Amino acid sequence: MIIGSNLAKIYGKGTVEVRALDGVDIRIRKGEFVGITGASGSGKSTLLHLLGLLDRPTTGTLVIDGVDVGLLGERGRTLFRLNRLGYVFQDYALVPELTAEENIYLPSRVRGMTVKECTRACRDILSLVGLRDRVDFLPGEMSGGEQQRVAIARALVNNPAIILADEPCANLDTRNSTIILDLIRKLNRELKQTVVMVSHEEWHQKYFDRVIVLKDGKIVSGGD
Amino acid sequence: MLEEEQVAFFLASRLITRGNKGTILLTIMIIAMVFVNLIFLPSIIAGIVVLFNQQNIDYSYGNLVIEPREDQLLITNVKELQQKINRVPGVVASTPRYTGAATIVSKGKSTTPLLIAINPEDEKQVLKIHTGIASGDYLNDGDTGQILIGTTLAGNKDQKVDRTPTLGGVDVGKTVEVTFRNGITRQYRIKGIIASGQFSVDSSAFITRKELESVLGTTDTANQILVKTQMTGNEDAMRITLMQYGIQEKIWTWQDKSADFLKSIVGSFDIINVISTIVSLVIAVVVIFIVIFINTVYRRKQIGILQAIGIDRSIIIKSYIFQALFIFASGTLAGCALLFVLLQYLTASPLVFPGGPVAPVLEPMLLFRAIVSLFIVSLIAGFLPSWLTTREDILSAIRG
Repeated sequence: MIIGSNLAKIYGKGTVEVRALDGVDIRIRKGEFVGITGASGSGKSTLLHLLGLLDRPTTGTLVIDGVDVGLLGERGRTLFRLNRLGYVFQDYALVPELTAEENIYLPSRVRGMTVKECTRACRDILSLVGLRDRVDFLPGEMSGGEQQRVAIARALVNNPAIILADEPCANLDTRNSTIILDLIRKLNRELKQTVVMVSHEEWHQKYFDRVIVLKDGKIVSGGD
Repeated sequence: MLEEEQVAFFLASRLITRGNKGTILLTIMIIAMVFVNLIFLPSIIAGIVVLFNQQNIDYSYGNLVIEPREDQLLITNVKELQQKINRVPGVVASTPRYTGAATIVSKGKSTTPLLIAINPEDEKQVLKIHTGIASGDYLNDGDTGQILIGTTLAGNKDQKVDRTPTLGGVDVGKTVEVTFRNGITRQYRIKGIIASGQFSVDSSAFITRKELESVLGTTDTANQILVKTQMTGNEDAMRITLMQYGIQEKIWTWQDKSADFLKSIVGSFDIINVISTIVSLVIAVVVIFIVIFINTVYRRKQIGILQAIGIDRSIIIKSYIFQALFIFASGTLAGCALLFVLLQYLTASPLVFPGGPVAPVLEPMLLFRAIVSLFIVSLIAGFLPSWLTTREDILSAIRG
């Protein structure tokens, strides 16, 4: 469960102050697939960054699975990201020198799995995203869609409670976008993971359980 | 905790093996050169010191120098004392000398060098001056009216070349006039010119003790006895042995005699050494720092993403430290190989210095110091840029 109260993010000071997020209240239930949409500059990415603990709100509180994450120190936030959150970036963000399997291996190894457990988990998860035959491929040797599926596998490997996806289909064609969205939807259904996804594509909305619409840093609808 | 290091090592190994190999190779080569530079100059200096030491033993002092007892100007009963010394176990030979100043004149050129009276055959057993005859012949025990002149003392016809007072380019067969301390003046034919490479020898003149005793009217006296021992390095023990065998004269080791000279040489070289070492280490720091810094700046976004997916910054920093240590280890190994080739070459074809050929001397402590210095430098140069980059907030890093 994610509960955000009066979340605000203000950049700059005085006359050049920019309110990227302006007093947002948000509740996302466990297992929900929530889409965040809005025009460019509406604050959707800022909200996702706050939910993903990549940034701290200027004001407001954020409680995820009963933990007030605002009270966590840097190391605590890192551990929280590692154990409870899975983040999928717009541009895949894979380490180019690591193979598909090694990219996924990294967070699971840091979490404390043995090499054997990691390898098994990586192979299972690659099978789940349909890339079992791409184990030893470097990112540069895969298509954009395949790279994004590896990124999703990396986000899933530690079995996080929440998956945060920042426009994961922005760099993909419709066919690959559909593959990715179907995959996320399937994982959401089968693994009961909460998914929060930023998207500005209207046709993506059919995948979401709920759509939060942002405008000028405020929730216009769907805030629950 | 060890798992963090394992992950950092895993990350570092992949970044090295699948990263830009040209950059890594170039950096390793630069570190190898720095390593060679850290070792090479000090090993040459050590070689020079070894040469000076050996020259002091071979041309000036032997292993031990025996001088008159306290409050006495001369050693008397030299023959008896010499026999006594030669019977001491560990002594190879000894040679009595009488050294003093004398004025030598040739064609109006006058100078006052050290005049050393020797027993030529005894000298051959202790020193190597006889091997440095550049022209003419060495003295014989019975020689009178003959003199050996050092090449520096003999000088050049073109006196602009000479840096010290000389006899203006005298040669074998010419006659010089020597005035002794007691006022007696005699003429001597130059029997040989010595070019030993040792300044103290090449700027002196030599006659036989027999000749000097005839001038001074003394018999069986000397003011020095040089002793050659079987082993170099145990002079202190040999001094004690000689004392135990009843030698009551003052006994010095060659190290005692050349201490000030060596200290000044080593002191001067040490300054050059320290400057060269500092410059080399600064180059190493700068090179590794730049490589790691460019690497981290280039991977700024990637570092941000790694942090975003829950990889702790300490793991990222350690992975860059491992990369720096890999560069250090490879650079040091390559440097060792280069150094080995260089040392082999210079041992076979030593550098020729005014004192003689100098082969580099590699001391284990020097090697250890260079490795430790480079290791510390690599740690710093690996840590600092990655620490700076991972300090940045994650979003700024991801945005690049």
